[in-house]
Amino acid sequence: MALLLHGSSAIVLPSPSSSSSVNPSSISSCNISSPFVVGFSVPASKSAFNMDYRMTRDFRDFRMALKEEEKEEERKERKEKPPHIPLDQRWMFEESELDGPDIWNTTWYPKAADHVNTEKPWFVVDATDKILGRLASTIAVQIRGKNLATYTPSVDMGAFVIVKVNAEKVAVSGKKRTQKLYRRHSGRPGGMKIETFDQLQQRIPERIIEHAVRGMLPKGRLGRALFNHLKVYKGPDHPHEAQMPAELPIRDKRVQKQS
Amino acid sequence: MNKKEILKLAKGFRGRAKNCIRIARERVEKALQYSYRDRRTKKRDMRSLWIQRISAGTRSCDMQVHYGHFMHGLKKENIQLNRKVLSEISMHEPYSFKALVDISREAFPGNRHIYHRPRKVDMSITA
Repeated sequence: MALLLHGSSAIVLPSPSSSSSVNPSSISSCNISSPFVVGFSVPASKSAFNMDYRMTRDFRDFRMALKEEEKEEERKERKEKPPHIPLDQRWMFEESELDGPDIWNTTWYPKAADHVNTEKPWFVVDATDKILGRLASTIAVQIRGKNLATYTPSVDMGAFVIVKVNAEKVAVSGKKRTQKLYRRHSGRPGGMKIETFDQLQQRIPERIIEHAVRGMLPKGRLGRALFNHLKVYKGPDHPHEAQMPAELPIRDKRVQKQS
Repeated sequence: MNKKEILKLAKGFRGRAKNCIRIARERVEKALQYSYRDRRTKKRDMRSLWIQRISAGTRSCDMQVHYGHFMHGLKKENIQLNRKVLSEISMHEPYSFKALVDISREAFPGNRHIYHRPRKVDMSITA
C-alpha cells in the first residue's frame, strides 16, 4: 500500500490483499488541517507546506506504522503462498493438492515402482513329506500377495518367486497316492489321458505341485503371470542361489505328514 | 444422442464397435448401463478391498488377529475409525496400526477360552 501525500490530499492506492487493512481512521489521525476530503482528491501541486510536513514526526511515525503493516502482510503472503509450480504443469494440480497428493482420503493404488520384479522377496520350501494341498495353498497365498497389507487384486504384489526343492517327495494322505487321478484331454475324440498320482510322480514330479498351485491361483492373464513366479525343482538343488531365497513361513500346523 | 456423441463415447472399444454407428450404439448403451451399475458396486468393491487389506495387516503381526475379532475389539473401545482409514494406516503407518491391534486384542482377546469339541483324529496311512 502506498500513501502519497501531495499537499493536503492523500491518495490511497489499495492493493488486492490489503484492502481491508486500510484504516480510514489512521489517515484521519494525521495532522492534516485542510479543507479537502482525505483520500479522494486530485493531486495538488507541490508546495512548501508539503516539504515541511514530510519532515514532521507525525508523518514519520505514520510511515513507520504503514511499513510494519506492509511487512506483516508480506510475511502472511509468503506463508500462505502455494509452492511454485511451473507454468506448463499447473493444469495438473488442483487447489487442494498443492501440498502433495492426498494419501489419507484416497485408496492407495500401487505405482509401477511399487511392484518391480527385481525387488520382490524370494522364498524356498523343502517339499519332503509335506501334504500337497496345504503346501500349495500357502504358496498360492504368498504368490498372490494376500498376506500383505498392500494387496491389490489387479496388480502383482506378491512375494515373488518360490522355489520348491525335493518335489518328488511331496506327500498325500489316505489312499490318494494310488487313487488320485490326473486327467488331461488332447482335444480329439477319445483323447482322454488318465494317470494316477504315483505314475505322474515317477514321470514328471514337478507337474504335481504345479497343477496344485495353478488351481489355486486366479485364472486369467494375471493368474498366468503369477504362475510364472513359481519355480519347482526335483532334487535338492536349485539354480536361484543368487536371489538368496529365505525360508517360506508356513503357518499351517498340519502341513507336515504325520508318520 | 446423435451419432457424433455416440462415436465419441465409443473411443477405445474393440473392432467395429468404435467405428460403425450401428454396432457402436449398442455397445455404448451397454457401456452406460454398466457404468450406472458399477457406480453402485464400486462402493461395495472398495469396502471389500479395505477389509482384505486390514485383514492382511492384522494377520501379519506377530500374534495373528482375525479381522472380525479386530473390529469387534475396536467397537468395544469406541474407536470409530472407518475401514478406509484403517487400511491406509495399515499400509503407511505400520507401528500405529500395531498399536491399534494391541488395543483391540486387550479389549477382545478372542475366543480362545471357549471350549471346542474334540476333533476327529487324522487317520492317515504312512507312505
